[in-house]
Amino acid sequence: MEDRIEKTINVSRLSKSFNGQNVVRDISFDIKKGEVFGLIGPNGAGKTTIIRMLLDIIRPDSGEIKILNGSLCEEIKNRVGYLPEERGLYKKLTVFETLLYLGALKERDSKERAGMLLEKMGMFSHKDKKISELSKGMQQKIQIIASIIHDPEFIILDEPFSGLDPVNMKLVKDLIIELGKVGKTILISTHMMEQVEQMCSRIFMIHKGEGVLYGSIDEIKSRYGKNTVLLDFEGELKNIPGVKKMNNSGHYAELILESGTDAQVILKNLAEMVRVNKFEISTPSLNEIFIQVVEGT
Amino acid sequence: MSKWRIIAKHEYITNIKRKEFLFVTFGIPLFLLAVMGISFFFMGAVTPGEANKIGYVDRTGLFDSSNLTKYTDEELARKDLLDNKITNYFFIPENYTATGKIIIYSSRKNFADNMKIEEQIKNFLLDNLLKNEPADIIQRVKKPIDSQYFTLNENGLKSEDSGFTIVLLPLAFSMLFTISIFASSGFLLQSVIEEKENKIMEIILSSVSHEDLLKGKIVGLGVLGLTQVLIYLVLAAVMILINPVALFLIVSQVHISIPLLVAGIIYFLMGYLVFASIMAGVGAVATTSREGQQIAGIFSLAGVFPMMFSQFIISSPNEGLAIALSIFPLTSPIAMIMRLSITDVPLYELMISILVLAVSVYFIQEISARIFRASLLMYGKKPTLKELIKYVRQN
Repeated sequence: MEDRIEKTINVSRLSKSFNGQNVVRDISFDIKKGEVFGLIGPNGAGKTTIIRMLLDIIRPDSGEIKILNGSLCEEIKNRVGYLPEERGLYKKLTVFETLLYLGALKERDSKERAGMLLEKMGMFSHKDKKISELSKGMQQKIQIIASIIHDPEFIILDEPFSGLDPVNMKLVKDLIIELGKVGKTILISTHMMEQVEQMCSRIFMIHKGEGVLYGSIDEIKSRYGKNTVLLDFEGELKNIPGVKKMNNSGHYAELILESGTDAQVILKNLAEMVRVNKFEISTPSLNEIFIQVVEGT
Repeated sequence: MSKWRIIAKHEYITNIKRKEFLFVTFGIPLFLLAVMGISFFFMGAVTPGEANKIGYVDRTGLFDSSNLTKYTDEELARKDLLDNKITNYFFIPENYTATGKIIIYSSRKNFADNMKIEEQIKNFLLDNLLKNEPADIIQRVKKPIDSQYFTLNENGLKSEDSGFTIVLLPLAFSMLFTISIFASSGFLLQSVIEEKENKIMEIILSSVSHEDLLKGKIVGLGVLGLTQVLIYLVLAAVMILINPVALFLIVSQVHISIPLLVAGIIYFLMGYLVFASIMAGVGAVATTSREGQQIAGIFSLAGVFPMMFSQFIISSPNEGLAIALSIFPLTSPIAMIMRLSITDVPLYELMISILVLAVSVYFIQEISARIFRASLLMYGKKPTLKELIKYVRQN
């Protein structure tokens, strides 16, 4: 028997339709306590709908959701943090007022923690500014702070990296990693596969409302086999026999080999065509798996 | 502190600082005060007496006066008028007794003056026409009635009606009522739409239930409405203290009875609840504030219906239109208060009106809460009427 205490989220057979259209169909997955979990899928796959159902913002047509070992009541809401995809704050309030109010809604006095988090995100000097005076990137950071202002056990981040510059992206990434280290359970919903690959241990992939992949990233990758060549090159890359598919970005390419193809033969062929700087036999990237799944359906 | 209270407090604090609130709360009374002050000023100017020097030309030979300058030659009167020796003169033609026509000339255009002069001329004419009658008859002809009105019912003599109160009190009362109800439910509309437009709604909903959000907003802004009424009352009290003479007249005529006050509070609260619930629903459905205002306008129009028909309600408070308006839930708070302040409303009508209103409050709230829940997060997409009906029928 599975240990239920270990699970932060337990979703079983969840379905939701809008105007007769199935947005989410018969979805089941678990999130274990303390893991960083990726909910991935193309735009419009139903990720945000699932999250809104987790938070009881919209009600599912059928299925069951358990969150922190219960159904979502006010007490449990106070232990969950949420960064919605649709970003927004009160324009007329100051940064500090906003954080205190949102903290108060989680029944927390968040004065000290607000100061600490603002400091950490390099925003302390802006604490008395009105939200409308901040740049978009700064507002993003305030929203991320707002989602963890009450020190939640379970954090849902919907597209946390959209619209961030590389510096802020790193800041947010480091924050997520740190939260993961102190044992928080985190759900990241995104279509940025690279980030998921780096941060998440397990994923659930949804496409057109249906679950298509579920499990640990390593296990999913090995399911697709070591049939990929990662190539760094100079020159012009043409079709090579034995390569099923080629994702060519100019100086970098991902080659998916047909089954039974010997990678050494490919290397030989490549060496005649281009200057090879790096040749690596690997499992396919999550991005490639993602594309294969989407294109295959 | 439960979550709806946190929201109520937040709504109260952020909205009391709004420019619109400050304008409605302090601007409108100041404006009314200014209008009242101006009219008092002009009324003060119309005291009979000194400034006018009036002359006359009499072709009938019937008139004589010690106060007015008599001219036999009209040219002379005209010259004196142009030389500012007199301010007015009037011409009584030979056939005056048959036609009543006289011609008045003045050196300047002034409406208030004209009224005053006409009064003076009238007195002069009456004094002369009735010079063979006793003084008290002359007095009666000049002022034939000094009226007092009473309303009589089965229990005998009831309240004394004063002409001034009859128009002023219900109008003022219902105006205040209307302003407060619409201001605070309007703020509710704005606050819902702003949270939608700011896209912060989703964060709020991940922390509190729809019910708490709705309740917090309704309570917070309701208290704001009450604050506004309180400020109006304080302002009124201050105005009376500052200017006792001018306002004593009005205040002495206002009898606010305890039952009226109780009914006022009940109708204020329920009226606010009706409109606040409607506005919450409208806010949830509307995608932009302009669209929200447009939809809300339809309901507000129904709400101010009694104000537009106040003449009819005041002139015949116990007839069809007045009764209908005081029972229909969107109009009853204002219409009933208007009626209560001028007449005796039968108890059963009052009960029916309150009952209908209470039931409506319940249903409108229920419907709005469902629409609120279903359409809050439909950014940029307005649900169709069919969808709305579906939302309402769900659960």
